Amino acid sequence: MSVEATAGLENGTLAIAAAGPRPWRVPLPDWRPLLLGLALPLLAALAWEATVRSGLATGRLVPPPSRVAVALWKLARSGELWPHVGATAARVGAGFVLGGAAGILSGLAASYSPLFRRLVDPALQGLRAIPSLAWVPLFLLWLGIFETSKIALIAVGVFFPVYLGVMGAVLGVDRKIVEVGRIYRLSGLQLARRILLPAILPALVVALRTGLGLGWMFVVAAEYMGASEGIGYLLVDGQQLGKPDQIIAAILVFALLGKAADAGIVALAAPALRWQDAYEGGR
Amino acid sequence: MRGAGDARETLMSVALQISGLAKTYPNGLRALGGVDLGVPAGEILAIVGGSGCGKSTLLRLIAGLETPSAGSVRVGGDLVGGPHPAVGLVFQEPRLLPWLTVADNVGFGLAALPAGERAVRVATALERVGLTAHAQAWPRELSGGQAQRAALARALVTRPQVLLLDEPFSALDALTRTALQDHLLELWAFERPTLVLVTHDIEEALVLADRVVTLRPRPGRVDNVQAVAMSRPRDRDAHNFEVHKRQLRAALNQSLAPDTLAPDSLTAAAL
Repeated sequence: MSVEATAGLENGTLAIAAAGPRPWRVPLPDWRPLLLGLALPLLAALAWEATVRSGLATGRLVPPPSRVAVALWKLARSGELWPHVGATAARVGAGFVLGGAAGILSGLAASYSPLFRRLVDPALQGLRAIPSLAWVPLFLLWLGIFETSKIALIAVGVFFPVYLGVMGAVLGVDRKIVEVGRIYRLSGLQLARRILLPAILPALVVALRTGLGLGWMFVVAAEYMGASEGIGYLLVDGQQLGKPDQIIAAILVFALLGKAADAGIVALAAPALRWQDAYEGGR
Repeated sequence: MRGAGDARETLMSVALQISGLAKTYPNGLRALGGVDLGVPAGEILAIVGGSGCGKSTLLRLIAGLETPSAGSVRVGGDLVGGPHPAVGLVFQEPRLLPWLTVADNVGFGLAALPAGERAVRVATALERVGLTAHAQAWPRELSGGQAQRAALARALVTRPQVLLLDEPFSALDALTRTALQDHLLELWAFERPTLVLVTHDIEEALVLADRVVTLRPRPGRVDNVQAVAMSRPRDRDAHNFEVHKRQLRAALNQSLAPDTLAPDSLTAAAL
């Protein structure tokens, strides 16, 4: 809350200079914390590089950064990497869309209907308690060893955080704000579009980001169980052929893809969440 | 006490007619026990009473946010069975939608209008409440008084025949509150809607209202109706104002006195 001199501002004339119309106020990024955070890993990488180059270690099992970079470069140059990236991204994408949509729909149903909540929520909470990887054998048995079981596993991973996030967000919407909608006689659909959706959007974005993060975790498991394509396949392949540089390269690709997908959600939601940006201040 | 008011009601067109209005909550609490009130068009009516006297319930019933257990509310002849297009409501808190700019908040109830007309109406409303410079600000950038003025603009922009105000200035500091009371009268003068104001502030009631209704609690019912025959703008320090104040305070104290001597008397005395 601002502690400005309200008394003087109340008649409006004096208030003009105080806040003014609001332009795009993009805060300048501060690179210093980033550099500070990078210092330790960079130092460790350089030290290891120097150790291997000076012949103090062979770097056979823990390849120096240069060898990882070369492995990554070769995979990218030869074009071998891209089908793997495509396969993994497609699986995560499909699982995310399916699990996310199911999570949103059941989250909405659970928050709208007490009956649905009492009927379905306990069962879902029970299922949530099962470590999702425990589903793997069943999914393989039911859905086969190809894409369907992989996507189903990812969708299960995405579903729960989205379901919980949406249900919690709708149940947490301020009744007082809903009442504003009632005063203006909004229909159920209008109320959802003009009040509920914007009100839950911040929580929805957080839920989707959490879900997507889990999606990337589960795709590794899914591909690790047997795949002829995908970044996870590169991991298995690297392990079986004794190529630690390829394994680390694949890990790096996972990290990059995960970060890029997360940034994508944030960027898509940013225009709708602009009103919120000042709340993110305290880092 | 009711004589003067009733005579006027028959002369002027009645904007709001409340008949036998009662509300008992499912938990058995009798919030309102049969209220009859007629409010002529353009009148400013204040409703005062101690806490728990049902004044907020009365306002929510008029707004159509609650359904009465008995009796009826009519706005311009229409039976109120839910929020009515000719009735606006200003809450105790601004209740602006944080994801909309001030201008979009003010235009919230005008979604059915074409964009051009809506923009004109919103601009006029913002000008009247002195927030033109803040049209594109987010609600959280406003001070408490500015936010409540934006809420007033949002309620008035739909040109309601009846505007309900539920302790609209009680969360503000004293200076801002006085300024906004005067401002409300300026706004009222534009289209002269009927105002029904719930307040616990005797001075606020006397600055604003043509008549002040005192409710008696448990269950809430009309205890006293005081006409305020002072021309506006009213001087809060004038002798006549003091006389009215004393009179209204006496009525309020009387309404808080227990019907019979009950353990309640202690709390009533404390108030």
